[in-house]
Amino acid sequence: MADDRDTVAIDETAHEIYKQLTEGSNVLAVPFRTMKDVFMWAVCLGVQQGKKKSLTSKKLTVFRWAQFDQQTDIPLLKAVAIADSGDISILLKRNDILSVAEEYANAGIYDLRDGVFGGYGQPLWNLVSLIG
Amino acid sequence: MKFERITLENFRQYFGRQRLEFARDKQRKVTVIHGVNGTGKTSLFLALNWCLYGSEYVNNVGELISKEAISRINISDFVDMSVELSFLHEGERYIVKRMRRGMKMIDGGVQPDPLDDFTMIRMHGDGQSEPVKNPIGTINAILPANVRTYFLFDGEKIDDFAKPESAKQVKEAVYLVFKLETLERAHRHLEISAADFRKELKNTSSGELRNLIERDEKARAALEKNEKRREELTNVIEQIGRKIADIEQRLRDIQNVRVLQQQRDFTERNLKQQRTDLDNVTNEVRELAISAYFTVPKAVIGRSIAILDAKREKGEIPSNIRRQFIEDLIVRMECICGRSFEDGGVQHRRLLGLIETTLPDSLGDDVLEISATLRMFEERATRHRANISQLMQRRTELMGLIADLDAELDDLGRQLKGSPLEEVSSLEKHRQGFIADIGSFYVEIGRLNKSIDELTKDIAQLDKDIIKAKKNEQKEKLLSTKLYLTQEAADAIKREYQAYADDMRARIEAKTKEIFKRLIWKESYFQDVRVDQDFNLGVIDQYGRPARPELSAGERQVLSLSFITAMSRISEEEAPLVMDTPFGRLSSQHRANITEQLPLLSDQLVLLVTDEELRDQERANLTPYIGNEYRLVFDTRTNYTKITEA
Repeated sequence: MADDRDTVAIDETAHEIYKQLTEGSNVLAVPFRTMKDVFMWAVCLGVQQGKKKSLTSKKLTVFRWAQFDQQTDIPLLKAVAIADSGDISILLKRNDILSVAEEYANAGIYDLRDGVFGGYGQPLWNLVSLIG
Repeated sequence: MKFERITLENFRQYFGRQRLEFARDKQRKVTVIHGVNGTGKTSLFLALNWCLYGSEYVNNVGELISKEAISRINISDFVDMSVELSFLHEGERYIVKRMRRGMKMIDGGVQPDPLDDFTMIRMHGDGQSEPVKNPIGTINAILPANVRTYFLFDGEKIDDFAKPESAKQVKEAVYLVFKLETLERAHRHLEISAADFRKELKNTSSGELRNLIERDEKARAALEKNEKRREELTNVIEQIGRKIADIEQRLRDIQNVRVLQQQRDFTERNLKQQRTDLDNVTNEVRELAISAYFTVPKAVIGRSIAILDAKREKGEIPSNIRRQFIEDLIVRMECICGRSFEDGGVQHRRLLGLIETTLPDSLGDDVLEISATLRMFEERATRHRANISQLMQRRTELMGLIADLDAELDDLGRQLKGSPLEEVSSLEKHRQGFIADIGSFYVEIGRLNKSIDELTKDIAQLDKDIIKAKKNEQKEKLLSTKLYLTQEAADAIKREYQAYADDMRARIEAKTKEIFKRLIWKESYFQDVRVDQDFNLGVIDQYGRPARPELSAGERQVLSLSFITAMSRISEEEAPLVMDTPFGRLSSQHRANITEQLPLLSDQLVLLVTDEELRDQERANLTPYIGNEYRLVFDTRTNYTKITEA
C-alpha cells in the first residue's frame, strides 16, 4: 500500500472505557483482554447502528496494525471501508481504511460500554447477549 | 441467590456473636424462626437488610448497636457491631460483612462512626478468596436494593398493594421490577456526573499538591501494617484448616458415621471439580465472546460482497490484462507483435490509456481474496453462535449440579450435627464453627487486600499527580468533553424513558392472577385479577364486576401477597423469600392455603413467625419443607436474645 499507517488510534475521551473493559482479573466483570478486541467490537457495533463519530479530542495510539488478525479482522475492516465508501480503490489506502474504522469505533464504544456495563447482569453475560 | 448463614455481632438485642444457618435443600428449603413479640424477629429481618444494603434502607429504627454491649465498656472505649452473611449465587459463594464501630460517650450513649465498613468476598472453587472490587454494585446486580422489598418483606405491610389508594405503589413496583427504573437512575446519575464535571471544571487548580509527601508517608505506613496483619491471618487460617482436617479424620475413625464423612469427602471433591469446570466453561465462553464481533455487522458484509460482485460482473476484477505486462511494453517501447513504436504515437497513447483504467495487480488479488473470505463469514458466525450456545447450556447444567452438591453437603452436615452420638454432634458443630470462622477471616483478609490495593494505587497516584498538576489546562479540555458527552447521554436517556409499560403491566397481571387463584379458597367466586391502565390492583367476580370493595380484609391481604409473590417470580431475580410475621392478620383458612402453596413458589423460604401464626394445620403444611428451625429467646436477666435451635 502506498500509505502504510501502522498505528490505530482512539479518542482520548473514550480511553477510560477501553481501560474499564480490559483492566481486571475477574473474567465475569472484565471480559476483554486486549484493546484490539474492544476496538473491533466497537467498530462492529458502530457499523451495525450506522453511527460514525469523528475523533475530536487528542488521539491516543492504543495498538498497531500487526495485531489485527489476517483471517477475520483485516477482511472485516476492508469490508467496512468498501461498504462505507462504495469504492474498492480504498483498499489501496490503509490510512483511509483505519480512519473509517476509527470513526465507527468512536461511536460504537459507547454502545459497547452500555451493553456490557449498563445491564443488571454480569458484564460477560451481557457481552454474550450482544452477539448477533 | 441462596442464603447459607448469618452471623450477628452486637446487633440490637443480639449481644456477642450469634449464628444461624439457613436451610437450602431442594425439598427442605424452609427455615422457620420462632419468637414472641419483642424477642428480635424484626431485628433479624433488619440485620439482613442492613448487611446487604446499609443504613439507607433501615432508617428510623433507632440505634443498631447492642445496648448490652455498650453497657459493658468504659467511656471512650470502642464497640464493634457487625452482620456477616454468606450466600451462593450462580455457582459462586460470596460472603458479605457490614461493620459499624461506635465510641461510648460520657452520657452513656454511643457515637457511631459516620461510615459503615462494607466488604464482599468471592470464594473460589479452590478455597481461595478474592475481594469484590465494587461490592455495592455487585449486590445490586444480584438483588437490586429497590426490588428487595418483593423478597424481603414486612408482614405489617402485607395489604399495602390492595388498598384502594395503592395505584401509585403498584405502578412504582411494576416499573422497578421491569427495570425501567434503571433508565431513570442512569439519567439521574448522568445528570449528577455532569454537575460534578461542571464543579470540577470550576475548581481545577494545582493547590492540592502541597500535602503530597505527608500523604505518601502515611499511606506507606498503613500499607506495611495491613500486610503484616494479612500474614498473621493467613497463618491462623492454616492452623484452623489443620484442625478441620483432624476433625474429619476423627469422624472417619468413628464407625457409625464413617460412611457419612466419606460421602462428604467425595461430595466435596466432586463440588470442587464442578466449580473448576464452571470456571473453565466461563473462560471458554469468554474466549468466544470477545472474538464474536464478526457476527454483528451482517448487513455491511452483504453490501460489501455485492459491491465486489458488481465489479466482477463488469469484468473489472480480475483485470483482463495485467498492469505489469503493459508497463513492460511501455518500458521497451515495443508492441506484442515485436514492432517498436514511437513515444507519443498511437500505440503508446493506447497503452497509457489502458494503465489508467486497469486496476493495480495487487488490488485485484486482494479483492478476490477478500471476496472469498467474506463469503465464509456467515457459516463461521453460525458455528460460533452454536459453540457459545452449547457452552451456555453446559454452564446452566453445572450451576444446577453445584446447587445439588451444596444442598447434599448441607444435608450431610445436618445429619452429622444431629447424630445421637454426643461426640459426633459436638465434632461437627466445632467443624462448622471453624468453617464459619475461616469465612470471617477471609472477609478480613478481603478487607485488607482491598485496602492494600487501594493504598498501592494511592501511592502510585501520588506520583502521577505531580505530573498531572502541570497538565491542568489539558484536564480542563478533557472535562469539557466529558461534560458534553455526559449531558448528551443524559438527554438521550430521558427521551427514551417512557416505553413498554402496558406490556409489563400485563405480565404482572397474569402472574398475580395465577398465584391468587392458588391461594384463595373461593376460587370459583373470583373470575379474574386486573391491573388496570391506572395501575389499580383489583379482582373481578364471577359476574364480571369489580369485587375489590367487597373483599374482606383477609382477601385483600391474599391479593396483596399474590402481587408481591408475582413480583418476585417475574423479576427473574433468583433470591430467597424472607417474610417477617406474614400471617399475623390472616384467617385460619387463608393461613392454611398460603402455608400449603408458599414453599412451592420459592426456592428458599425464611419465615419469622410468632407461635400464634403457625398453628397445627399451618405447621403440618410446612413440616415436609422445614430444614432448619430456630427459637429466639429473650433473657430478661441478661437483657439480650439468644438464637437456639428448636
